[in-house]
Amino acid sequence: MIESLLQVVGFVALLAVLVVALELYLHAHFTQFDKRWFLPGMALGVPALALAGIFFSTEGRPDPGWTISLIGGLCVAEFLVALFFRYYVRGKHSLPIMMLAPGLLGLILLIVYPLIFEVYLAFHDLKLTTVMAWSGTGALPFVGFKQFCKVFVSSPLSGVTFFQLFLRTVWWTFINVVCHVVGGFALAILLNNQIRFKGIYRTFLVIPWAMPQVVAVLALRGEFHSQYGFINVMITRLLEWLPWLSRLGAEPVQWLSFHPLLTCTLINIWLGIPFMMVIILGGLQSISRHYYDAAAIDGASAFQQFRLITLPLLRPVLAPAITLGSIWTFNNINVIYLVTGQAGGTEDADILVSALYKAAFTYYRYSYSAAFAIVIFLILFTLSLLWVRYSKGTESAYG
Amino acid sequence: MDEAKTSSLEECRAILAAHHKRESLRAVLIHICLIACCVACIYPVLRILAVSLRPGDRIISTDLALIPAGATFVSYLRVFRETNFLIWLWNSLVITCVTSVIGVSLASTAGYAFSRFRFPGSKLGLTLLLGTQMIPAAMLLLPLFLMIMRLGLTNTYLGMIISYSVTSLPFSIWILKGYYDTIPRSLEEAALVDGTSRFGAFWRIVLPLSTPALSIAFLFNFTQAWNEYLVARVVLTDSFRYTWTLGLFELQGQYLTQWGMFAAASLMVTAPVLLVFLYSSKWLISGLTLGGVKG
Repeated sequence: MIESLLQVVGFVALLAVLVVALELYLHAHFTQFDKRWFLPGMALGVPALALAGIFFSTEGRPDPGWTISLIGGLCVAEFLVALFFRYYVRGKHSLPIMMLAPGLLGLILLIVYPLIFEVYLAFHDLKLTTVMAWSGTGALPFVGFKQFCKVFVSSPLSGVTFFQLFLRTVWWTFINVVCHVVGGFALAILLNNQIRFKGIYRTFLVIPWAMPQVVAVLALRGEFHSQYGFINVMITRLLEWLPWLSRLGAEPVQWLSFHPLLTCTLINIWLGIPFMMVIILGGLQSISRHYYDAAAIDGASAFQQFRLITLPLLRPVLAPAITLGSIWTFNNINVIYLVTGQAGGTEDADILVSALYKAAFTYYRYSYSAAFAIVIFLILFTLSLLWVRYSKGTESAYG
Repeated sequence: MDEAKTSSLEECRAILAAHHKRESLRAVLIHICLIACCVACIYPVLRILAVSLRPGDRIISTDLALIPAGATFVSYLRVFRETNFLIWLWNSLVITCVTSVIGVSLASTAGYAFSRFRFPGSKLGLTLLLGTQMIPAAMLLLPLFLMIMRLGLTNTYLGMIISYSVTSLPFSIWILKGYYDTIPRSLEEAALVDGTSRFGAFWRIVLPLSTPALSIAFLFNFTQAWNEYLVARVVLTDSFRYTWTLGLFELQGQYLTQWGMFAAASLMVTAPVLLVFLYSSKWLISGLTLGGVKG
């Protein structure tokens, strides 16, 4: 444990050094660009520093072939960068770029580079049987578009096809978002009245959002247990109390075995309503009372006020919230994996992303999953583009 | 004449009374609806409490009482004695704190750059940051996991910190940018006149003024990493390195006998998180709507 902690401390120190080095590098390029020594100095100095670093980290015995090609490449690259700074940038925008650089570098290393690696993976063949060889040599057989064909032809799981998963995902997203918005709207409207204990109600109502999702989902999953869960206990008691209900076909439900998707949906609705409620409440409170007074004088009914005042004025708040909410729901693995993800769990609740997670980390089909992930991303991208075009949803997000 | 006056007055009173009656009826209905919804929100939490208090031989039962007969704290003691609960909490704490500090420091300067400067690609950059929200978590996790595996960082704090550190960065940048936008530029201009550099103005004027937004961003990063499950599931396989989410999932596992311990442990984790969230919810929510939605 101590060793691990030291590793963390060392990493943070290394990170700080790297940030300082990056800033110094940029600072030199932004301020010294018109000096006569700038081009040769940078093109030779930076590789020299890198060489010193390599010698230091390998204790004086670097691999010669690899080092020479790296230093040579660095010379050329740095020369081009220096040219760019000397003749194009000329010290403009130095402060914002320098302030942005560490975060940007982090995003490039941990989001952009992995995505490029993902594309590389999708055109190669990495699976459980080739992963050992790969981690030794780094070489992978090239297979072209084969993985992409497999996504549509063979199933990512054992029993469900790609198109079933797709339809299920669309259905899941639609039902969840509609319920979140309707439920959130209802609660927000109730809370927006002049009533007592408003603060207390609001506090209690955000609890599902505030709870750690793992706890909430696992606990609710327990409540759907066929014998000891709250819901079936209630159904059983109701049947004891009103026996004639069982003649109508009412009986305890095998939630987790026979209706896993319904169970996940119910749980996710419970979890998601508070967020929408809070967003909508914020929007409602910013609408001036006068609009409603004027409308009431003109004789507008409550429904007309809602349709003609509330909805249009909430649009700038609602549209981005719905856009983001849909994307989050589409990508939501947590609920489904926590409910059905244990060994031998059912596949009847899986949507695209949870199938992706299982294909990658339960069945170890890495390249296949990479191709699958790219297909999913393209689907989501197309759908959101259509939606944004249709709703102009992000307009207000740009302020 | 007089009679007409009183009758119209009475009419008014009657209308007013009817109005009051309708209003109070409406208020009662609203209260009933809200109370029902509140119960639906709290009841699952209370159920966890009930299960955690049940004595060992009655952990699995159809009992619905909130304080079960023969309530004990045995499950709580068993969590500490029979599981690595404290180690799990410690692991989570180390990972979460380091990631949050890294995330907020990176976001604090990046947000400022987006808030105060127009440079080539600034608008596109902000849009792309929003666009990262569209990338499915599992999609990023796959290459990240393979990279971490090749670097030999599975089962280490470092592997977790690396995989968490930028996940909340785009959102934090948006939150902070939104807040910086509300700070009047004249403050910095005054500082510039007094002879500080632009970065000095940011460091000495804007950053101290942004403490609320910085704490919101920190809290956001913290809760994201603290409650994360799916990445941890993949990167950590050794029970001594587990974060609490993994530990909890294992406790809940297939064995119903550990249900009591699961309930006790989850309550101990949830209580502080809930308190912090509820205490800070006012600022947290305004931060989210400011940065994430209104822009």
